[in-house]
Formats: sequence, structure tokens, C-alpha cells
Amino acid sequence: MAAAPALEIATPPPAARPAAWRPRILLTTEGTYPYAMGGVSSWCDLLVRGLDEFDWCVLPIVAPHGRAPLYELPAHAREAGPIEVWSEALPRGRRAGRPRAALPGALVRGLLGWNGDADAVLAEWLWCRRNPAGVRRAFRSGAGWAAFLDGLSDVLAERIPEAGTPPRLDLVEAAALYQTLYWVARTAAAPTPPADLLHVTAAGWSAIPAAVHRALHGTPLVLTEHGVYVREAYLAAARGGGSPGARFTATRLARGLARIAYASADVICPVTDANAYWEMGLGIDPAKILVLYNGLRQGEPPTPPPGERIVVSVGRIDPLKDIHTLLRVAQETLRIVPDARFRHYGAVTDGEDAYGRSCLALHHQLGLGERFRFMGRTTDPTGVVRAADVVLMTSISEGLPMSVLEAMSQGRPVISTCVGGVPDVIKGCGVVTSPGDDHALTMAVVMLLRNPDLAWRLGRRGHDRLGRIFNEGACVEGYRELLHTMTRERAQLRAVPS
Amino acid sequence: MSPDATRARRLVEARLGRAPQDALEAAVVLEAWAGVPAQRALETARQLMPRRAAAPLASVAVPTVTRRPPGLLVEGLAFLVSVVAIALWAQPLADSLGGAAVERALRLALPMALALQWGLRARHLGRPSGLAGLARERRALAAGAALLVAGLGALLGEAGVLAALLTVTWTGGAVLIRRGASAFYATAVTAATVALLAGAPGLVAVAGVAALVVAAGAWALRGAAGAVVPGRWSRTLGAALTGAGVGTLLAGDPTVTWTAGSLGALALLPSAAGGLWAGLHLWKLAPALPRALTGVPAIVPSSPRGDVAAARTAGSSRGVTAHSLVRTLAGAAGRLVAVTAAGSLALVAVGGGPAGVLIGFGVVALASLLVGLLDSLGRPAWAGWGVAAGVGAELLVRLASPFPGAALTAGGAVALAVLAPAAIVLLARPARTLATALWIT
Repeated sequence: MAAAPALEIATPPPAARPAAWRPRILLTTEGTYPYAMGGVSSWCDLLVRGLDEFDWCVLPIVAPHGRAPLYELPAHAREAGPIEVWSEALPRGRRAGRPRAALPGALVRGLLGWNGDADAVLAEWLWCRRNPAGVRRAFRSGAGWAAFLDGLSDVLAERIPEAGTPPRLDLVEAAALYQTLYWVARTAAAPTPPADLLHVTAAGWSAIPAAVHRALHGTPLVLTEHGVYVREAYLAAARGGGSPGARFTATRLARGLARIAYASADVICPVTDANAYWEMGLGIDPAKILVLYNGLRQGEPPTPPPGERIVVSVGRIDPLKDIHTLLRVAQETLRIVPDARFRHYGAVTDGEDAYGRSCLALHHQLGLGERFRFMGRTTDPTGVVRAADVVLMTSISEGLPMSVLEAMSQGRPVISTCVGGVPDVIKGCGVVTSPGDDHALTMAVVMLLRNPDLAWRLGRRGHDRLGRIFNEGACVEGYRELLHTMTRERAQLRAVPS
Repeated sequence: MSPDATRARRLVEARLGRAPQDALEAAVVLEAWAGVPAQRALETARQLMPRRAAAPLASVAVPTVTRRPPGLLVEGLAFLVSVVAIALWAQPLADSLGGAAVERALRLALPMALALQWGLRARHLGRPSGLAGLARERRALAAGAALLVAGLGALLGEAGVLAALLTVTWTGGAVLIRRGASAFYATAVTAATVALLAGAPGLVAVAGVAALVVAAGAWALRGAAGAVVPGRWSRTLGAALTGAGVGTLLAGDPTVTWTAGSLGALALLPSAAGGLWAGLHLWKLAPALPRALTGVPAIVPSSPRGDVAAARTAGSSRGVTAHSLVRTLAGAAGRLVAVTAAGSLALVAVGGGPAGVLIGFGVVALASLLVGLLDSLGRPAWAGWGVAAGVGAELLVRLASPFPGAALTAGGAVALAVLAPAAIVLLARPARTLATALWIT
């Protein structure tokens, strides 16, 4: 096992910062803050509100949905964009010059090739940024399509033992990939506001505008990984039941984006040690890695659980949350404890409507009825877990989930799968089982429902543990130190006459 | 492969139900489902991948189900009822307001109504969130309708008021039909027809039905709520201009009289019916296009040794049969021609409009069919240019029209000549069309 991540941040002397200068941070998000509740969004909100000595600019990347933001940004933060992918909006800028027909080919080689050239992709992204209107022209042209097919031919011809043999994509899959690469290019073409520091919240799409900005201006880039982007993409593809071609393109693209994100980042902050080991395994220099745990306010001493045998789960309806297992566990539990009640809070992830429907179908098939209720999105995640006797999480991939911290803040015991940083967090204050282990999860739920004293004792331990280790102050202070260090270095660089 | 790696590979294959795609997938499975720590999982996964490349798996995209929107036939029938009813308005309106005023009003209302209908469809009505989008703009739409009546009335007097009222009625009708209130719209128009035939004052009857349609539209939109993702303005404007162009094609020929009894306007009916049937048939293209490409390898090995590195691409029209797609288009065109011809012959038999006019409406209907096709294939600008060419030709020929309907026929024919090759080219290279036009909007 490799050595633990080694990056250390020195506490900045407060006097070193000019009083009038407020560093500007560009926070890029992907389908989360400020348009989705909970999880990464809760963490973003905590950071933005907690670090009010910075001027925050939030740049969300979202699918067009027409909904209003769910979080109101504080006075020292504003939203730029959002960048709407898969929208009908035309790129900004005037038509100029010939379309760059080679663009799609270069992107498919650089992003999907096992040893794709990250620098070549960045060079193409820079061209997109300088010629936003040219992106659409390139992809609408027959020459662009031909160049893409040539690039795809190279990728599919790769024979590297570690990479396996690429499948023979059909034309529909190729066209779908072509469209996705178009939106990658459009995302790279989107303007970014001036910033002294770039803070990326996932090693995927949200890294694209930041990587371009960094390449243009040399602005330092911090990457916080809540899950491991590549790992989650592989898990989703493995469980998605798509064709070999769809699986190949989804995972290779995620890997390509993550490689560029890692290469562009000056500091990578996983939220748990487990993720740090993944990142090192993916070839990241441990010196770049700094583990900063998520945190949550400990709050008042917890109140006892309601004693109504209510099991609450909070999370998006998404394959990574493994709602199917949750439903099966509910059915088994109800067989043993008929008066138990399950409530799931969270909306279907954008683009996962089919999975959402499959959950409803399974709910119907298992005959759960009113005993398991999908409650939809909540704006009060701590309130809903307070009303629980037990909090249950069946995810197959997590970083350090806020929903677990929220349960601990309310003194509720957590039963979870041992994924990501969860086992480290709920050590001594909950129960962990293997992912997808219906029986073990059911037994744990039944045990705690039948032993409310034990459940309450575990809950209080969780509350104490949150205050000691995973508290809001430690999380915010960790980032305060890191961000000040990096923006100070930037300010010093700016002070040097060119 | 070491025994450990062999065991790990079996475990991964058991979990996935197939061989792992690559070492990363194997590592993820080992970590997520077998509890192997990340770094060890990655190392083991690299070892368990075979040294010799396996044969590539043929991948077939999971087809997405595209169905014709429900109620399309009912909507079409409601439209036909409206065409018949409005054709019956021509004579009573001419009796009430004078033939010249009604002619002028119809020539103005047709392009305006089509522009508004096509624009609204691009912006809202053709989209999943369309009704909610319109609901948000309910007041603006009602105010726009009132302004249109007042403005055109001030400019053109009674003809302007009538043109505005007809525009409002037809546009509001499109909203009602989209809302599923086709029967209501058809009933309202039929009631106005009965009133007009019974001798009700022309403007009052039309104003009544316009007000009813606007009120019903506003009421129908009341319940529509939710997130709105409207179409972009440039597309809306383009669609509106194309709609106006088609309307101008239909109404721009001065030799076509709309008020010479009911048969004048009824000349539009055969081509409208043919267009409806053809449009329904053309919906087959929506699933047929991706289906034609599903399972067709994007890259085909072409060297004698089957070396993929020396592959040639199959993404152009080469290697992909597009016959079925072009045949579907031909089938739609055939239906339109057959119905138009049969209906026109029937009209001629009962003393309807001149043959040139009936042929002209048929040709314009064919051109309109192709306009809709090009728009849905992601080339609205081509559609716009085709219509513009048609309008230009119509304007030229109307300077010296050799027979009634000549300008209409010429305009339609030129539009058709521009649009048909474009449509055939798009359908003949389906992969490129899907990738560069349909999915890059």
C-alpha cells in the first residue's frame, strides 16, 4: 500500500493578505449546486457560506430543465452561467474562418484512447474557447463526421492488454458519442469569469471549463472529489445494462475527462482516505493529494428517536444509490417487522428516468404500498432524519456522504453499505455491510428496530463522533487554509512585474 | 495468469455475467463487490486481463422507442373540419363585408396565422414543456391578440379587423388542438359557420368565435405548470418566417379566388387531406432512421487480413442502405398525390375551382411536407431557403400569369425542386444526417 497522502498546507499568516483584496474563486459544479439538494450541494453551500472572505462565483453545468436554483447564494457569491449541455442554445460569437474539421477526431482520440494525449485535447479545448461559433460548424460538417470516424477507427484498433478489446460500435452508438463530444467541446467553449482560484467539484465535466481557464491564465486549480468519478462511471455502466458500445463510450469518456482533470489540478482533495487510495492507484502523485473530510455542524444534543419504527433513507434515485436493494431490504424487513415504515427522500437524477421507473415498478411488484413511500425531494434533510428511528443507505459508491453526517448530527444510527469513506465515518456508531447484501442489511435494520436502546446509544455515539472528527469547523478551516495558501501564491505571482 | 488472478477473474465474471471490459472495470468490481482495497484491486485487475487480444464484440445500440404522438389523427381531422367550415364562411362574409375586403383579409391572415403557428410550435407547442411555456406567456399572448386586431383595424379597416380575427382564431385553434380540445375547437368553428349561414353579421360572428377560442385557450392553459425549456428565438423566428412563406405561397397568387362561393376555399381541402395522410405516414421515419443504422458497424475492417487499423469508415452513405427511408418518403408523397388528385377530380366534377389552382395547392402541399421533413431532420435553414425560392418564383410568375393558379403552381414547383433533392440527400446518408444534423441542433 502506498504511503498516505502527503501534501501539507501551512497556515497562512492573516497579516499577509491585503485587507482590501478579496480573492475570487470560481466553483464549477456538475448537476449539483445550486440546482440539486443534499450531497455535494450541501458541501458546496457549507463552503461558500463558511468562507465569506472570498468572492465566490458558481458555474454550474446542467442539463436544461428550466428550474430555479434550490439554494439562495449569499451576498459574497453569484452564479455565472449556467452552462446548459444538451440544450438548443447556440454558441456565442460570430462565425469566423473555416470550421476546424479535425476537432471531433482529435477529441475522440485524446479522450477515448487508452493512452490519449491530454495536451492535445487541451489544445483543442483552447481552440473551442477562442472560436466558440466554430465548434458547431465543425460538428455539423460532413468533414467533421469523417474526421471523427477516422479517430474512432484508431481508438477501436487499439490492442492494449490492460484496456481489453474495444467493441465494434454501431453507427447509432457512434453518432451518440459524436453528440457527446460536441457537448464536451461546447462546454470547453463556454466563457469563464476572472478568478484567482478554480475549485472543481468532480473530475468530470465540471473540470472542462476550469482546465481551459487554467491553460489560458495559469490560475491554480483545486479538485475536490466526493466520489471517484471514474469508479462511479464504471459502476453505473456495469449496472446500467447498456450495450457493450454504450458501456465502452461512457467509461472511456469518464476516464478521459478524469485524466485531464487530474493533470490540470494543482491539489486534489478527496473527502476520504478510501478515495485517496483510488486516486493514487490511478497514477496521481501522492504529493498532490490532500484528504479533507466533509463536515457538518454538530448542533444541539440529539432528541430520542420517535420509536415508531421509521426507517429513512436520503439520496437521489440513481443506480449508484442502489434503490432496488433498498426496496428489497424494505420488503424483507416488513416480513419480520410488519409495523415498520420506510420513507425515501430524494428525486430522480436528471437523465435517470428509466431507473426511476424501474424503482416504481419494483415497488409495485414487491407490494410495498404505503409502507414504503417515495417522499420526493426534501429541503430539510436534517429534519427528515430526525423523524427516523434508523437511517439506511444502500449505495454502491460514495465518498463521504452528507446524508450519513446529517443522520449523525441528529443522533440517529446509520446502517450502510461499506463503500467509500462510510466505514471510517460510522465506526462505532452504526452498522456496515457489503454492498448489495440484502440479507445483512435487513438483519441490521431488524436488529436496531427491535433494540431501540442500542439504536439510541449508537446514535448518540455518532453525534459525539461528528463533533470530534467530522465537524463543520474542521472541514471549513481545512479549506480556508488551503484556499488562502493557493490564492496567496497567486497574488504573489501577480505582484511580480512581467 | 497466477491462481489468484484466475480466481479474481472468475469472481469478476460471475458478478458481471461476462468478461470485464478492461482492467478498470475489473478493479471496480473487485473493490465494490468483493471488498478488495482499491490499490490491490487495481493491481490484481491488471494481472487478470488476458495478454492476447480477444475478438471485438459486436455492439448493437439499445433502440429508443419513438412513437407517433397520440391524438395526431384527431388533430388532423379537427383541422380538416375547420378548413371545411372556414371555406363555408367565405360567401357569407363576402356578402356581409364585400368580396374585396374578405379576399384581402384572407390573403393577409393565411401567412400571419401560419407564421404564428409555426413560430409557436418551434418555441413552445412542439416541446414537452410547451403548454407550461405558453401558460407563462398567456397574458402577453392575449394582449398580442388584442393589439393585432386594433393595429390591423386601424391600418386596413374592416379587412384588417377580419384578417386579425381569423389569425387569432386559427392560432388559438392550434393551441386548443395541442391541449387536446380538438372537439371544442371544431364545434366552435362549426357553430360560427351555422351562425354565418343563418345570416349573422360577419364581423360579429368571427369576433365571437375568436373571443371564444382565445378565452378557451387561456382557460386550457391555466392548469399547465412546471419547468419550461423553450425553443431558441432564432429557431422560432426561422420557423415563423418559413410559415409565413408557405402562407404566402398559398395566398399569394391573385388568380386564386377565395370568395367565389364556398368551392373557392374548398379547393384547399383535397391537398389538406392528402397532406394529413402523408404526414401521418412520414412519422414512420422517426423510428426508421435510427433503426436503419442500428447494428451497422461504424468502422468496418476492409483489408484482406481484416486488420481493424486499416479500416475504412462506413459512416457515410456507403455500406448503409437508405432505400427504406427514401421509400417511406416516396410513400408519403404518393399518398398526398393520390388523395389530392382524387379530391380535386371530385371538386372539378361538381364545378369546383380551376384545375391549375387544384394542382397548385397539391404542389404546395408536397413542398410543405418536405419543409416539415427538413425541419425535423435538423435542417430548417434549407427548408427556409426552399420556401423563399418558391415565393420568389410565385412573385415572378404572377406578373404574367398564363392561367389561373399558374403562379401558385410555379412557386410550389420551384420550392419542390429545391427541397426534394435536399430531403433525398439527407435520407440517403442517414448516419451523417443523424450525427451532424439531427443530434447537433
